[in-house]
Amino acid sequence: MEKTDKEKRHIIAIEVEDIPGVLSRISTLFSRRGYNIDSLTVGRTHKPGISRFTIVVRGDDTVLEQIRKQTQKLIHILTTEYLEKDNAVMREFAIIKLVYDKDSSTEINELVDLYGARMLNSLNEILIVEFSGTEEKIDLVFEDLKSFVVLESIRTGKIGMRTGR
Amino acid sequence: MSSQSKKTPPDSITGSEALVRALEDLGVEVIFGYPGGANLPIYDKLRKSKIRHIMARHEQGAAHMADGYARVAKKPGVCLATSGPGATNLVTGLANALLDSTPLVAITGQISRQLIGTDAFQEVDCINITMPVTKHNELIRYEKDLIPAIESAFYIANSGRKGPVLIDLPVDVLNASYPHEFQHKINLPGYKPTLKGNIGQIKRALKALKNAEKPLILFGGGVVLSDSVSELLHFIRATQIPVIRTLMGTGVIPHNDPLFVGMIGTHGSSRANKILAKEADVVLMMGTRLGDRSFVKKKPEFAENAKIIHLDIDPAEIGKNIKVDIPIVGDIKEVLSDMNERISKKPFSKEKPWVTVKKKKTKLSTRDDAEILEDIFISLSGFDMKLNVSTDVGRHQMWANHFCTNPLHLPLLTSGGLGTMGFGLPAAIGAWFAEPETPVVNISGDGSFMMNMQEFAIAVEHQIPLTVIIANDSRLSMIRELQHSNYKDRYTVHELGRSVSFKKIAEAMGGDGLEITHNNQITSAIQQALSSGKPTIIDFNLENISKSSHLTWDTKAS
Repeated sequence: MEKTDKEKRHIIAIEVEDIPGVLSRISTLFSRRGYNIDSLTVGRTHKPGISRFTIVVRGDDTVLEQIRKQTQKLIHILTTEYLEKDNAVMREFAIIKLVYDKDSSTEINELVDLYGARMLNSLNEILIVEFSGTEEKIDLVFEDLKSFVVLESIRTGKIGMRTGR
Repeated sequence: MSSQSKKTPPDSITGSEALVRALEDLGVEVIFGYPGGANLPIYDKLRKSKIRHIMARHEQGAAHMADGYARVAKKPGVCLATSGPGATNLVTGLANALLDSTPLVAITGQISRQLIGTDAFQEVDCINITMPVTKHNELIRYEKDLIPAIESAFYIANSGRKGPVLIDLPVDVLNASYPHEFQHKINLPGYKPTLKGNIGQIKRALKALKNAEKPLILFGGGVVLSDSVSELLHFIRATQIPVIRTLMGTGVIPHNDPLFVGMIGTHGSSRANKILAKEADVVLMMGTRLGDRSFVKKKPEFAENAKIIHLDIDPAEIGKNIKVDIPIVGDIKEVLSDMNERISKKPFSKEKPWVTVKKKKTKLSTRDDAEILEDIFISLSGFDMKLNVSTDVGRHQMWANHFCTNPLHLPLLTSGGLGTMGFGLPAAIGAWFAEPETPVVNISGDGSFMMNMQEFAIAVEHQIPLTVIIANDSRLSMIRELQHSNYKDRYTVHELGRSVSFKKIAEAMGGDGLEITHNNQITSAIQQALSSGKPTIIDFNLENISKSSHLTWDTKAS
């Protein structure tokens, strides 16, 4: 199939049996078929033995459907579904380490209030702060932090689930 | 050692014994394999088993034998290799089975669990190496998982879209105690192949075919794999819809059937390609992914506004290569049975087919020695006896596909998806173990044959009625064709020379060898090989035969 449509970002939620090597199977499949992963998160769920991936990929709608079908074919994959803005809630999480001294602390405090962030640790004028929210919000956080001295940062990538039953 | 082995009763059996018993219970009759340190516990228990072990001379050969076996026996073929190089040597055979959807179970020995990850002797990461070339694979980490994994492997390999499954067994799991009470529990919550087609879609498909002016059926190897030949023939006869096929669809419909137009693809017939690309207004395609070689040009070609119905057991194939109007996910046998039932109540059929099939002589190449290939395959097809025929990969494969038309010799066992040179000889050997009353023929080229010729020793060891036909033109002729068409005749790396005597190779390995240099010896040579019942290599020297039949040999070729 020709890849003519505009490339878009898509989010797929995948429930899997929590068996060693499942991550490897998914990542092998994605790389072998040339699907580009923007972000991938995985963790346990409330159901024993079941983990859940949220994967953000790029591609047109045809590519997306191939990704979902090929993933669904893997033996230990239970369900696959698309998450979209109008049918799902999605969140991202970031922790950031930055210089927190006389010159910057007031402004950083304002920023923390503005974004509803949480200070996790402060030691010798170094602060670690936690942000969570939509991807767009985390983007804004990183934009605003450009005026400060950021030492380290990490974003989790999206996690999400469909609304309603 | 895990707590499992401590808890088992003293009269318990070992993992390898449990494995062999499970294989017996699963109906395994033959295993193709090669021993090594990590799988010796299995061999130790196979000694006393009713399962027959055929020792290949290379693990790739074992995998292709299991593939050829599976295609004829219509059940999973089993191959067995050791860790490290044993496992890596299986890779080509696994990929071949994956791309042609052959049910295969590969069992590999692995080093002891406590050594995994230490780069121990003959350790490779078998699971990650074979992941992309298998339908599924598993490393067994706990004794209790051994039997359920083996039973699941056979189920996965032989259901849905069939394919190879590999189970990697650490040697200490094989040596540990295994409880007498097997856990017979296949628990695969994420694996549920769809067999029944959606009735709404089936109705829509039939309506489209009924209303079509120029309906066409295009089928592939899925019809063979799902054992749906009689269902398809019934459907074709009842509706009078013309049919075309892919390379993998040999042996489904007789070559001279008035409704059969031909094979499509780069090596197909121009008429078949043309009615698909220009004429048909509704196409029912089934059991084919329509890979890139199914089309003459780079991209799929259908007539403008043609409506496409795609029936396949693998939902991921639908919409992958071809845009589809009416998808039907299901087993071809089930869906065609439903369709046949519906058309028996509400028949529709053209008064006469919209395509009149004129069986013209197929022209495939301008080279004169190619006509000798035609003579050889027509001669072979004249032998009215049941044969299982395999091919290798290259020009001879395409010609065999067109000119091996005797239904008693079909379907051809051929490597369609992966195009594995060296597949044919071990596949023919595997086929014989599936059906020992039927002699086997391997159609090969001088290039392909040398890729796995060590396996001829097995044919001699077991006195297999095997005829190897080597279309020997002392070159890789398909490479040459590509250099002619795509590289402006800049010929290189296709010459194999004439230094090898295949006759002597046959004799050196204990078989019979014939060297044919004249046109009038073709039929008698095949006759002699088939009637001897002995493993025989016939080296058809195409250059000399060509000269003998007063055709011009293109001496400027290279």
